[in-house]
Amino acid sequence: MTKALKTTRRTLLKGAGAGGLLAASPLLGRFASAQSAAPIKIGFQQHSTGIGAAYGRWYGRTTEAALKMINDAGGINGRPVEIIAEDDGTDPKRGAEVVEKFSNQHGCDVAYGTLFSHVVIGSAPAAGEQKIPYFVVSEGHHVASGALNRYTLQPGITDVKSQVQAMAPYVSENLGKKVTMIFPDFAFGHDHRDFFTAAIEAQGGEVLEHIAVPPSETSFTKYFPKIPRETEVLYHVMVGPAVLTFVKELGEFFGPSSPAIFGFIDSLEAVDLASPGLEFLEGTYFWEGNPRYAQADQTEYDKAYRAAVGVDENGASVSDPSDVSTYAHMFGCWETLHIIKAGMEAADYQGPDDRQKLIEAVEAMTDMPESMEHPQGPKLFNGKTHQVFGVQYISRVENGRLVKVHTTSIDDTLYPDEVDYTTQSF
Amino acid sequence: MALPTHHARVRLRNIIIVVKPALLWGGPAMAHVSEQGFVLLLPTGAYITAGVAVVAMTVIALFAMPQAVVTGLFSARALTPRDFGKWPVITSLLSFCVMFFGIYIGIYGSRDPLSNLMPLGFWTIGWIALVSLSAVFGNLWTWINPWTGLYRLLNLKEPPMRLPDRIGLWPATATLVCFAAFLLADPAPDDPTRLAQLVAGYWGVTFVGLILFGPRWCHSAELGHALFASFASLTAIRLQHPAGIGGPGWQIAQAPPRPAAGLFALTLLGVGSFDGLNETFWWLGQIGVNPLEFPGRSAIIGVTLMGLITSILGLMAIFALTIWVGMALAGAKTPFAQAYGWLALCVLPIALVYHVAHYLTAFMVGIQYTIAALSDPFATGADFLGIQPFRVTTGFFNRIDTVRLIWITQAGLVVVGHVWSVLLAHRVAITLFGDHRRAVIATLPLSVFMIGYTFLGLWLLAAPKGA
Repeated sequence: MTKALKTTRRTLLKGAGAGGLLAASPLLGRFASAQSAAPIKIGFQQHSTGIGAAYGRWYGRTTEAALKMINDAGGINGRPVEIIAEDDGTDPKRGAEVVEKFSNQHGCDVAYGTLFSHVVIGSAPAAGEQKIPYFVVSEGHHVASGALNRYTLQPGITDVKSQVQAMAPYVSENLGKKVTMIFPDFAFGHDHRDFFTAAIEAQGGEVLEHIAVPPSETSFTKYFPKIPRETEVLYHVMVGPAVLTFVKELGEFFGPSSPAIFGFIDSLEAVDLASPGLEFLEGTYFWEGNPRYAQADQTEYDKAYRAAVGVDENGASVSDPSDVSTYAHMFGCWETLHIIKAGMEAADYQGPDDRQKLIEAVEAMTDMPESMEHPQGPKLFNGKTHQVFGVQYISRVENGRLVKVHTTSIDDTLYPDEVDYTTQSF
Repeated sequence: MALPTHHARVRLRNIIIVVKPALLWGGPAMAHVSEQGFVLLLPTGAYITAGVAVVAMTVIALFAMPQAVVTGLFSARALTPRDFGKWPVITSLLSFCVMFFGIYIGIYGSRDPLSNLMPLGFWTIGWIALVSLSAVFGNLWTWINPWTGLYRLLNLKEPPMRLPDRIGLWPATATLVCFAAFLLADPAPDDPTRLAQLVAGYWGVTFVGLILFGPRWCHSAELGHALFASFASLTAIRLQHPAGIGGPGWQIAQAPPRPAAGLFALTLLGVGSFDGLNETFWWLGQIGVNPLEFPGRSAIIGVTLMGLITSILGLMAIFALTIWVGMALAGAKTPFAQAYGWLALCVLPIALVYHVAHYLTAFMVGIQYTIAALSDPFATGADFLGIQPFRVTTGFFNRIDTVRLIWITQAGLVVVGHVWSVLLAHRVAITLFGDHRRAVIATLPLSVFMIGYTFLGLWLLAAPKGA
C-alpha cells in the first residue's frame, strides 16, 4: 500500500478493496488519532470519456496530486482520504446517475470534480435529492445564478461572469474603449457577449459590433469584413476544432496592422502556443485563470503545485513537453479538495450524518489567502451564493509564451448576489 | 445517408431548446482543440483528391490489365494444413481465465474505465487491436475464444440439436448489429461493471448455444468467430484447412461464401462508416445538435440507432444497385444473389482499413492506459511492471508534424484498402462472369461506388468532429 502514496495517477485509491487494504497499511499509525480509520470517500465525477476527456485527464492528475498531499499530511480529521472516480461520459444524464451511485452504492461522503456545465446542471438535482454535498469545478455561472440548490457549491474556481467582468477595466484603460466581439452563436458565446458588453459599458467603453458565428462554421474569412474600421479591441472567444483556423485566417486578414486582440484562453487551453498558424497571436492578450507559463514572480506555491501535478514551467507534462495541460482550470480541483478538507475539519466531520454541518462550515468560509492550498491566488468565498471569487490574470503572448501583464483585484470580479442559498432548507 | 424522421428531429430539437436557456455555460466549452484543429490546417483537400485519383486510376488500369495479372495477384499455392493439437484448447482455457479475471475486475475493480482492465482489455486490446491483427496473423479467435477449450474438456457427444446449413452467418450478422448499437448508441459502453455483466451474459448464452448445437453454433452465431474469420480471410497465409499461401484475399477469391457472409461484410462496413460519420459536424447538424455543445450520448440514443440502421441498410441497397446495374450492362446470367454475396465479401479490405484508421488514435491513447492498468490491475497503487512514474500523454495530438503523420497513415490505409477491394472484386467477377472483359463491365458501377467510398472515407478523416 505504501506505493499508493507515490506521485502517480495510481495514487487514486479506487475500488472496493482499497479501504480494507488501507486499513491494514503500515501507514495506519499516521491516521491513528482518528475515531475511525475508515477512509473519507470523495466521489470524483470525472469526464474520463466523451467530449470532456482531455480536461478529465488533467483534472484526474491534479486530483491525484492533491490527494497525495492531503494524505501525506495525515488525511482529513485523522482519516485517510479515498477518491472514487466514476466516468460520466461528459453526459448530463449519466452525471446524475453517477452522483446517485456515489451516495447509494459507494457510500461517498461528498461528490466532487465536475467540469462541463451541462453535466453540473444535469447532476445537481440528484445531489439535492441524495442530500450529498456536490463540489463542482466548472466555472459556470449556474451556481451563483441561483439555478441549483443548497447542496451544490463552487468554492475552488471562479465563475465566468466574474472573470469576464474583471477584464473590462484593463481592456478599456490599456487596449481601447471601442470593442468588437466575435463569438460562437450559442450559450457560451452569449454569456461572454452579455457579461462583457455590460462590463465595458460600465467602464465608459462600447461594443461597436457583436459578430455571432454559427457553431458549425469552420472558415471565418467572411465574418472579418464585418469588423468596424474604428475597432480598437477585438474580443474573441471562439472554441472547438476550428480555433486554429480562426486564428490563422484572422492573421491573414489583418496582416501586421491589427487592432489590439483579446481572447479567453479557453479557446486554446491545452494547445501549444508555438503551434503553426498561431504566430499571429504574438502580441495579443488572453485571460488566464492561472498563468500557464511560470512567471518571473512565480510563488513558491505555484512552483510546488506544478511539481506535485507533474507540470513543467511551460505548463506541459514533465514527461512530454507536447502534452500541454489545462492549466487555466485544473487548479480548481486542487483548491476544492483542500476546501473540502478545511470544511470537514471545521465541521468535525465524522460521516454522512454530518453532511449539513459540512455545507454550513463551507458557507461560513470567507477569506482564503494565497497559500499551498490556494496556489492560484487569494480568494473570497460568498457563502450565500456558494461561489468563490478570486484574482484573474491577463497575459500577453511574447515569443510564443504567455507573459502575465496584469492581475485583477478580487473587487474587480464581484457583482451583486443573485441568490441566497443559506435561506433554503436542507 | 438518409435523414432521421422528422418526428425524431423535432423531438431532439425540443430537448436542446429546453436545455439551452438553462445552460449558462461558463466552463471551457469544448473538448480541446488538439488533433482536429491541426487536421483542419492540413491541406486535406489535396490529399483527398490524390487518394481518390489513385483508386480511379486503378479502375482505369483494369481495362488495360491482362486477365492473368489480376488472377495472378490472388493465386494461391496449397500448403499442408498444420494440426496444432491441444494447443488451441490450452490457449482457449487460458483465455477463459483471462475473461473471468476481467469480469471480476470489471465488477470489483476501479470504477474508472481508463484504469480498469475490463473495458481496456475488451475495447483497446480486443475490439481494436486483435480484430485488426487477425488480418495479418489469421484467425486468432480460434486460439483465444473462451469457449472451445472448456467445451472440448467436457468431451460431449453429438449435440442434441442441429443448425441448418442455410442459416449461414445470419445470426452473427444480427449479433453484429446489436453489438454496434451498444458500441455507438449506448450511453456507457465503457462502464466496467456493465461491460463485465454483458460479457458474462454473452459468454453464458454462447456456451449454452455451443452445448445445444455444437461448434456449428460458434461458426454461425458467435460474433467473435464471424468477425475474426472475416478479417482473417484477408491473410496471405492460412495454416488451417484449407491451408495455402497467396496474394492477400486469395481465400475470398477461391470459394463462394457461406450464406449471409457478404451481408455480414457489408454490415461491418456500414458500422465502420457510421462510426466515423456520427462524430462529424455534418451528422450533428442533421440531427439538430450544436457540434460545440454535444449534449451527451444519452440525449441522442434514438437517432443514433436510426442512423446506424439506415447506414447498414442504405449500404446494402446501394451495393445491390451497383451489382444489378453492372450485371445488366454486362448481360451476365449469373444468379444475382450469388454475385451479390460474393462481391460483397470484397468490401472486407475497406472494412478492415476503416477499422484500423478510425481507431488508430484511440488505440494510441488506450494502450497507454492499458499498460498502466496492467501494472496496477486492482487500482491499489501497485506497480507490478515497474513503470512508475507513468503519465499518459496525448502530446502527439498537439503537434502538427505528428498529426500530419497520423493523418497520412490513416488516409494511406484507406486508399490501399479501396485499391485492394477494387482488384479483389475484379478477380471474383472473373470467376462469376466468365471473362475479363465482362468482369470489367459488370464491376464498373461497383468500381465507381468504391471511388466514391474512397472520397467518403477520406472526407470522414478530414471532417471537423464534435462528438
